[in-house]
Amino acid sequence: MARTTIPLTALALAALLLAAAPAHAGRSCEARKPTTQLIERGMQLAQQTAAALDAEHARSGTRVVVLGRAGQDLGKYGLRYSHLGWAYRTDAGPWRVVHKLNECGSAVGHLYRQGLGEFFLDDLWRYEAVWAVPTPEVQQRLLPVLEDSARARTLQHAPYSMVSYAWGRKYQQSNQWALETLALAMEPDSVRTRDQAQAWLQFKGYAPSVLKIGALTRLGGRVGAANIAFDDHPSEQRFADRIETVTVDSVLAWLPRASLASKPVVFSVKY
Amino acid sequence: MTAFLPSSLARLLLAAGLVCALASAPAHAQSEASAALSLLPLASVVGTASAGAALSGAVVVVPAALSVGGAVLTVKSVEASARGTVYVLERASDGAVASVEVAGRGVAASAYGIGTAVACSVISTGVVLSVAGEVLAFVPNALGRALLHNERL
Repeated sequence: MARTTIPLTALALAALLLAAAPAHAGRSCEARKPTTQLIERGMQLAQQTAAALDAEHARSGTRVVVLGRAGQDLGKYGLRYSHLGWAYRTDAGPWRVVHKLNECGSAVGHLYRQGLGEFFLDDLWRYEAVWAVPTPEVQQRLLPVLEDSARARTLQHAPYSMVSYAWGRKYQQSNQWALETLALAMEPDSVRTRDQAQAWLQFKGYAPSVLKIGALTRLGGRVGAANIAFDDHPSEQRFADRIETVTVDSVLAWLPRASLASKPVVFSVKY
Repeated sequence: MTAFLPSSLARLLLAAGLVCALASAPAHAQSEASAALSLLPLASVVGTASAGAALSGAVVVVPAALSVGGAVLTVKSVEASARGTVYVLERASDGAVASVEVAGRGVAASAYGIGTAVACSVISTGVVLSVAGEVLAFVPNALGRALLHNERL
């Protein structure tokens, strides 16, 4: 199984965690006001992405895409994107994104249905959207799940760690919910639990990214933030500093390999 | 330029979402631990002077008082409402007036008193109202509204 190994130095992550510590202290949802420029750019990316997806819909009938954003610079870890969700075209026309979000650094995450505006109005690192178009069969199976809130919640698991073990059940990060929900949609008769979803993903050859994160950094992460935990990873892997988790980049690489979606399409706005 | 009389004002309902802290962004190693709630102090425009009927009277036309980019408006009154805070804004150049209701905790009512200058920036998806560089609210036009939706499942 091909794996993406991402060297993540202890020092680098420790620095990031230390830098973030003040913001995590208290874990309150403190107000951070957006700027006019952030709104203008985020909405512009949303508008242009909507236009591109509409064009794709007109061309091929596409109703569902996996949509990613670059909320932060993960380049030093070999990753280009940070978060993904399933976007679908409503009967009325506008696109909506169903995705999981971790509220304000807390230890839980919940599902949201949002517009492309909200999706891109994060404080983006790069004004870039990436999407892949699933095969017609995959779209047909996913669409009713995304439209039905109860079905979308089937595999939602609130306890959240941003580096949750890809094959674990203790926590569930955002990209992991999206991937497990794909399994649910594809095999509704046999996939009803997270274990079953993960078994399907393994059967289909999904390979999570492997982060190299040392003990000191892991300790700092656990202490410094409610939304980072490592205790769900198998000991032998954890002590070998190997943290396997679901990333946008690994999902986008796997989908075409498994013949489930097209190669990713990138759309960016330059400033 | 059309000057609006107070009795014929279009009301803006600004459902300002709780602005969630994203200052912790650098810690996001994989899936973002980020804003469940939009950064956007979302606004909707309503065509009635009754704030109570605001939600049902939503229209997609941005009032004339807010239609010119670069215009400066002044806060004429501030009052608490059931949903948040209602600001009456008057355009300095011609006296055109619009009211905005900012809901939720996204904007502190006490932060903007009578006489505060509010800048008006027109973008392709709506109008951004700001005070000294800080966004007070976003008033989306029809294009912007189609891009906005926030629902917890």
